[in-house]
Amino acid sequence: MIKQILILIFLFTLLAALQITVVPLISISGIAPNLLIVLITFYALKNGQSFAILLGFTFGFLFDLISGGVIGVNMFAMTISGFIAGYFYNENKIEINIATMNLFYINLVVATVYSFLYTLIAAAGPELNLFILLVEGSFLPAVYTSVFALPVLVAMPKRELR
Amino acid sequence: MIRFLLKIINTYKEYLLLFVLSTISLLVLSFNDNPQLIRLKQFAFGNFAVVSELINYPLSLIQKRESIEKLKRENARLMLELSRLKNRVDENRELRAIFNLKDSLNYPLVAADIISKTVNNIDGSFIVNKGLNDSINIGMPALCSGGLVGIVTNISNDYAVVRSLYNTKLKIAVAIKPLNINGIMTWDGSKLVIKNIPSTYDIKIGSLVETSEFSTIFPPRIPIGKVIEREEVPVGSLHNVTVRPDTDIRTLYNLFIMHIVPDKELEDIKLNLISK
Repeated sequence: MIKQILILIFLFTLLAALQITVVPLISISGIAPNLLIVLITFYALKNGQSFAILLGFTFGFLFDLISGGVIGVNMFAMTISGFIAGYFYNENKIEINIATMNLFYINLVVATVYSFLYTLIAAAGPELNLFILLVEGSFLPAVYTSVFALPVLVAMPKRELR
Repeated sequence: MIRFLLKIINTYKEYLLLFVLSTISLLVLSFNDNPQLIRLKQFAFGNFAVVSELINYPLSLIQKRESIEKLKRENARLMLELSRLKNRVDENRELRAIFNLKDSLNYPLVAADIISKTVNNIDGSFIVNKGLNDSINIGMPALCSGGLVGIVTNISNDYAVVRSLYNTKLKIAVAIKPLNINGIMTWDGSKLVIKNIPSTYDIKIGSLVETSEFSTIFPPRIPIGKVIEREEVPVGSLHNVTVRPDTDIRTLYNLFIMHIVPDKELEDIKLNLISK
């Protein structure tokens, strides 16, 4: 248990640091992936819904603190994302979900929900139009985020699937 | 009864957990101005910025090489401009002496490196490696060679958070030159827009946009960008004007913080405006 928590702290520190230093370099017209969402989705499929909700809440809070943004935006969006990701948890299909293209599709759904909520809360105001909210704010960042789920499923061992 | 409640809790624990944590998140969202929360944020980003700076170091070596080339070109261009402006300065000094005007833009600039960024189309912000120890304070404007970049909104001893122009929460009083048309410029998620400018004003594409004399958070006459589009509002005889900054703010790695000492009397009002 302690080992798992230490791994999570390490992964969070690494991915959060990459998110605010390296990800800006690979963003396309302000559309950037969110590496923490890939991690939340992965753990949701591996450990279940309750774990994912708690993980989303904690990661969101910590990321809000260290990124210098408004506290609560990532916290809320990642908590809901953890809940959505946890819906896809099936203890009989853990290996199938995290080692096949299922991870990509599930991550796409979770990242879309995350980006939608994030944009909605962070930019709530008369300036926000529906196109920006749905396409630039939700779908495109979600697709970009899901691309980063591909290395995870490639790295996962496939022997259980045979 | 207790057993029944426990059964209910066990059956719906995910929903209860979601409800409780979402409620906490929304409560925290509404208490962002709480001094304890601000202190916690300063502590967190100030310490994590050290980790970001470590990761950023190898990247900055590559970026610095690119920026040196860019700065050389910029330097050459500025040298030419400087000689042209020198003549104007003499002329200007004479005129100022005549009108006994104070040189209001004589503020020192503090150079800072951007060590991390929030990249999305909604709440753009940077963390820079200058803080309270460098006499930086909340409310100071951040500039680059192209003009205004943003404003310092949060600070720790060694680091500061700069809210960039590409942030929906930053609203700036601006003036469109040469007609001196005043308006409020906002980021709508995809472009910088000055809304509801009367159509009677003949605003030319390419007109310079500067901070306004009426701005409560920025000193006047800091260049921001140029007008690139005029769009008619369907209802009424009004226009929306789109502005593009002269420098691509998303690709910046260095900036300057204008070391202004805010007017004490206006301080409270200014900070209220920033936090909204």
